Amino acid sequence: MQKIIDYIEKSCSGLKDDQVTYYYKKKLLDGMSQRADEMIHAGLKDEKVILDLIADEFGDIEKGFGQFLKDRKKQQRGKFMKVAFPVGGLLFLILIFIAYFTVSSLTSAWDKTWLIIVGGIFAMIIFYFSFAINKLCHMRRVFHPIARVLIIGCVMLFMVFAFLFQIMMLPDEFTSWPTLPAGVALSFVADLIFAYATKQKFRTISFFVYMPVIATMIYIILAAYGIISWITGWPVILIGLVVDLLYIFSIVMSNMKYFMYSKEAE
Amino acid sequence: MKRRLTAELWDKMHYLFRDFNDRMVHVELSYDFVPDIDALKTVVICAFEKIPVLHSKFVDTKLSTYWQVMPYDIDEVFTVSYPDDMQAAADAFLTQYIPPESHIQMKVALFIKDGKSKLCLIENHMCMDGGDLKYFLESFCDNYNKYVNGGISPINYRTGSRSYDDVYSGFSKTEAGVAQRLFKNINARDDHKFPLTADNIRDISFIARKKFSEETLIKLKAKGKELGATINELLLACYFYSIYELAVYPTSDKMMISNAIDLRRHMNSVADKGFTNHTAWMQCAVPERGRDIFETVKYVVLSSNKFKKDKFMGLYGLPLLNFGYNILPHAASEEIIKIGYSNPLMAMSNIGVLKGELFALDCKEPVDAFISGAVKYKPFVLLTVTTYKNVITLSMCVRGNDEDKKTVNKFFDLMEKNINTIIGD
Repeated sequence: MQKIIDYIEKSCSGLKDDQVTYYYKKKLLDGMSQRADEMIHAGLKDEKVILDLIADEFGDIEKGFGQFLKDRKKQQRGKFMKVAFPVGGLLFLILIFIAYFTVSSLTSAWDKTWLIIVGGIFAMIIFYFSFAINKLCHMRRVFHPIARVLIIGCVMLFMVFAFLFQIMMLPDEFTSWPTLPAGVALSFVADLIFAYATKQKFRTISFFVYMPVIATMIYIILAAYGIISWITGWPVILIGLVVDLLYIFSIVMSNMKYFMYSKEAE
Repeated sequence: MKRRLTAELWDKMHYLFRDFNDRMVHVELSYDFVPDIDALKTVVICAFEKIPVLHSKFVDTKLSTYWQVMPYDIDEVFTVSYPDDMQAAADAFLTQYIPPESHIQMKVALFIKDGKSKLCLIENHMCMDGGDLKYFLESFCDNYNKYVNGGISPINYRTGSRSYDDVYSGFSKTEAGVAQRLFKNINARDDHKFPLTADNIRDISFIARKKFSEETLIKLKAKGKELGATINELLLACYFYSIYELAVYPTSDKMMISNAIDLRRHMNSVADKGFTNHTAWMQCAVPERGRDIFETVKYVVLSSNKFKKDKFMGLYGLPLLNFGYNILPHAASEEIIKIGYSNPLMAMSNIGVLKGELFALDCKEPVDAFISGAVKYKPFVLLTVTTYKNVITLSMCVRGNDEDKKTVNKFFDLMEKNINTIIGD
């Protein structure tokens, strides 16, 4: 134990002697003592060898201090979040209701101001979902599909609010429904971006499936707003298939150089 | 918190081989002195601490697999005994089985008698192959010497990635791209097999060995030069010829024997890599037995050259295996892989030359050394070849009965006869 303490003191001599450094040294001492106990339990008796093994395992202690500070910050943030999340959520809800009653009583537009409550709650859910997505992204890949579902949920919530907002605020409420197919298309786009950014398995298959769906949604939106005809505008749907074919072509071309190389090698 | 290690592709593949062999790799080093037992214990513990997979248990949850690092005691890893019959004790130790669910994956034993000793070691093939085991033993002996003579802590072992895709590290980007697209499974099935008896629950594991003198090796080398064949190819030709004779297969039959190849040949350096498996099979085929052993040698050289010309030798099917293990839960992927994978009925693994100076303890080289592959379950067989001090040792580890023992020994006699024919004795 004394040798480990001496080693830590010697290795940390370049660090400022303050409370944080003390915590770092304490953490090191705990970790190293535990490893030393394990080695002694395994039957290792030579103290010098134990110390050398531990030193080798823990690496550069001064360099490790930077990581310790980062972890500590993260830990403190985590602790803060644990309190901030429920308290902040509650305060935000109170704030939404205050805003709702204030705006409603000032404008007397009670039939429209409920959007403040719905929008506020949706915003809060999206905010919590974003945190969850961020956390899930740093977890094992098996959890990534949950993140993908949450991303789709975020986009859909936003688009549903946009739809409700349009119904309430636009003079012609029937022009707002294309927002929903737009939401479907945007959800798929967001999911594709996530799949490619995080190199998900079968992302290519997702691309092939999503493209015709996205193209169909674009057709519906354009036709709904009268930009194209419902009857003659259907070739827009084919654009999705064309994009798929172009993507297949690009994959084949990029694989072709390997195929050609393989033939040359033969 | 429990420490976990990733189960790499080859770990999973060797786990799948549980139906074909016991996955134990055997080492026997004989010294004419007794090494320092306490020092050996220290060196073994350091090896275990530096290579945590050696004290891990393999966990199969059916959905996925991983290694879980476990506590251990040196007394269950390293044993010292003073038997009356050292060879029998060594054989009994070497033919034991360590299940992957055990919390240690390597066992070491020191047998002492009349001032002489045998250092025996068995390890789970899932942790490392013969190539890395050879390197491990060299590091082990080097660490022991430095510790005993210089007081330097015996912690100098290679550590790093155990991933299968390190085999692509020596390729250019384009070449790696080509290699990573070799989905084709080029392994063909061959029903010719070693003539062993049917399985029986009374079967026991045994190691059969045959040594060939330094003189034989010198003559084989000279003959190899003359015939344009390597020692490996000459031995393989003898293997083929002996099987034709032993099993009385028609001479016109096409036959295949798989030859283990070290995939590290594709890597620039393994200095920053962990101990793992990088071995694949190369199927060597002869269209017929040949009129004499020399014609068989010709066929073997032709078949072998075809592989040697291939830049991506041994890398076929690896991406397919990786894909298989990645897309489905572990239990399902095993079933799928079993459909496409055919384990070679007859195989040969040439571990190569064991350099005495690298296995020396206290500056004293072993008087004998040999490494052998896993105990195969019938009808599979593996012939392992090691060369130490210019003496070739052929070994075959089989789970069988006395009749099988006789068959294996008859096979070795035929090997001897055919080798003698080649060298003209």
